[in-house]
Amino acid sequence: MSQAPQEMEHPASSGRLGYGGVFLLLALVTALEIWLGSVGVLRSVRTAFFLVLSLFKAGMVAAYYMHLRTDSRLYAYILIAPAVLLLVFAIIAAVP
Amino acid sequence: MTTSVEHSDEFRAGRELGLNHVKLGMWLFLASEVMFFGGLISAFLHYKLNNPSLESGLLDVLLVGGNTFVLLTSSYTVVMALAAARAGNSAGLVRNLLLTAVLGAAFLAGQGYEFASLIREGMTPTSSVFGSSFFTLTGFHGLHVLVGLLWALRNLAKALRGGFDQGRSLGVEIFGLYWHFVDIVWIVLFTVIYLI
Amino acid sequence: MTSSRTPASGAFQTLRRYISWNTDHKVIGIQYLVTTFTFFLIGGALAMVMRTELSQPGVDLLNGAEYNRFMTNHGSVMLFLWIIPVFSGFANFMLPIMIGAKDMAFPRLNAASFWLIPPAGVIMLTSFFVGAADAGWTAYVPLSIQSADGQSLWAVSVILLGTSSIMGAINFVTTTITMRAPGITIWRLPLFVWAMMATALLVIMATPVLTAGLVLVALDRLAGTLFFSVEAGGNPILWQNIFWFYSHPAVYIMVLPGMGIVSEIFPVFSRKPIFGYKMIALSSMAISVLGLTVWAHHMFTSGLDPRLRVPYMITSMVIAVPTGVKIFSWLATIWDGKIRLQTPMLFSLGFISMFLIGGITGIFLASIPFDIHVHDTYFVVAHLHFVLFGGAVSAVYAGLYYWFPKITGRMYDENLGKLHFLMNFVGTNLSYLPMFLAGMLGMPRRVADYAPEFTSLNVLATMGAVLLGSSTLPFIYNAIISWAKGPRASANPWRGLTLEWSVTSPPPPHNFEQTPAVDHGPYDYGQPRQLEQPASAAAD
Repeated sequence: MSQAPQEMEHPASSGRLGYGGVFLLLALVTALEIWLGSVGVLRSVRTAFFLVLSLFKAGMVAAYYMHLRTDSRLYAYILIAPAVLLLVFAIIAAVP
Repeated sequence: MTTSVEHSDEFRAGRELGLNHVKLGMWLFLASEVMFFGGLISAFLHYKLNNPSLESGLLDVLLVGGNTFVLLTSSYTVVMALAAARAGNSAGLVRNLLLTAVLGAAFLAGQGYEFASLIREGMTPTSSVFGSSFFTLTGFHGLHVLVGLLWALRNLAKALRGGFDQGRSLGVEIFGLYWHFVDIVWIVLFTVIYLI
Repeated sequence: MTSSRTPASGAFQTLRRYISWNTDHKVIGIQYLVTTFTFFLIGGALAMVMRTELSQPGVDLLNGAEYNRFMTNHGSVMLFLWIIPVFSGFANFMLPIMIGAKDMAFPRLNAASFWLIPPAGVIMLTSFFVGAADAGWTAYVPLSIQSADGQSLWAVSVILLGTSSIMGAINFVTTTITMRAPGITIWRLPLFVWAMMATALLVIMATPVLTAGLVLVALDRLAGTLFFSVEAGGNPILWQNIFWFYSHPAVYIMVLPGMGIVSEIFPVFSRKPIFGYKMIALSSMAISVLGLTVWAHHMFTSGLDPRLRVPYMITSMVIAVPTGVKIFSWLATIWDGKIRLQTPMLFSLGFISMFLIGGITGIFLASIPFDIHVHDTYFVVAHLHFVLFGGAVSAVYAGLYYWFPKITGRMYDENLGKLHFLMNFVGTNLSYLPMFLAGMLGMPRRVADYAPEFTSLNVLATMGAVLLGSSTLPFIYNAIISWAKGPRASANPWRGLTLEWSVTSPPPPHNFEQTPAVDHGPYDYGQPRQLEQPASAAAD
């Protein structure tokens, strides 16, 4: 499938951040998470942080590496809808 | 009354919406994978919350944290491979695909090492509910990495043959979507299993 | 790449085409329809044995254990090998043509989806040789973990069928979004296509969760994991949540396409535009989305946390609203129309009346206090058969008759069709109406033996079953003889306006000589315009 004309519009760096920038950010956040995991912070606070941080990381990968930022919105909805559904299901299924 | 249009442009409706049909198909597949892992994650979470187990203390956050870095880096190399393919840089494409495969293999090796040491300590898929859900969840993730690894190698072979030349990068992009997804699943798994 | 695309015409002369790998959606459609109908007959045969056992109290033909195996496989075959995949058959044949495309977006994936089904069916049925699955189609744990080896085969089979279903859904959605011919805007899509989209959404979102659950069951059975081992702390409620999260949406997967089919038939056989096109389309999507929120109404008596129950009662009742919107719209469509009571229309009318009974009794079941009384009784059996047999199967028959000329190029015998309808309608009501009463009087389901006071109700049900079983005979005879040597059908024997009627019967290999460009809606009866001609004789 010849994609050459359209694909040339996408520069190697995606957005202001660039792929490398996103990578560094992800690495930093991961390091932060591992550090938090070994420090004796209150469990519930820690958990909230982890959830937020991992959501952030997942969002960065999806937005920049999977190009959801620049592609059709439909792809993003296709990813987010089951994620939300799954969250609801997991919460309900977690009830003893 | 119907008028007629040339028959060759079958995917015109998709293009006009800014959609590529292969990408759309892959995203729909990934949606189903979200739900598949969701079922496994729900089972894991149910037991983690309701049947807390001492065995969770056996998990090696540092080792697996390192493994997480490895997988994250492989996502970087995949997107660089795509950029190379789009720019017509076949050397860059080959290099990054190779790196991706190596990193993927390293991740699997790391997982294998973790599994082996856990089993040596007495935590197995059949030792407890925690063991069952841990090994199943991470095991299926590992299987997905393995499939991705084989796909990366196949793409590497195709790249060496010039199969992605002249900007024909769709195959790399589709592979990338799958690989990044597997990375995202790991981000969730690492958090849910090791951190929380 | 040269794909094996050969034209789908003259079935008998080229039988070999239909039993080999072929990526033409029309061939795949026929493969689905014939294969799933065969499983329908097998599931029906299992039911006939069950009904024979149940015609009298006492254990005569089957003992309890054998009855459980028959009951489990009857349900599993009917649901997973018949009613869910049959609509993929219709979608496969009709959807691309209805949107002016020449095939599905992924023809090879499409063929693969079909070819998962025969092996899965064989796996499920050969389980009888190693001790068939016997835990009901619901496979509750821990019983299903302890069942004979056939239960593992059952799990593998259902995993394969779920995979087939998901692959098909991906194809349907991608095709509909990206391959519509010019002029086929979202609000000009035939309602069957809308229905398939709503169905595909559920398949993609819900089926994988069942797959995950089946994997857990299979691992417990085969690898010794402890997910559902009660001694180790395994939780049966977890299985029920996982199972019903899929299996409730599954029932909408089983009926939404049927509603789409009757939505096609009513305007054509009343010569009137469909009433409330947008409302029907949006209701399909609403049922789909809401369908993902109601699952625990199957778990009211399970020991589920009581605080969770009322929300499900509410959502389960709310879902009746979009369904009601559809029923009123269909009635308004045929109201004052020029009604032609040919077989497709008869089955569609039968669909409304019988689905209504099933649907309303579903609302009864949504009420927690009522459900506590009748859960796991024959009331539920009656409800489910009214919606599935009276409803979905009627819609399948309606579609089979409606599209028979298009698919085969021949017209079926109308008198035999009417006979089939009559036997089917009387048989369905006779079989299942007594079961409502039996359930309310306390007869439990899934039993081979029952208290003597339920005998007369069971005798009636068995009589109905015999009538139902025999009703398939005129259909099968009609289908085979007409396909072989019925009168040749024209392109548009029903004078419909959707695109499949604008091409020959059967359609040419690539469906259209040239991509059609459409400028009218699918049900625009009464507008001054030219009737569709086969594409090669197009006016412009």
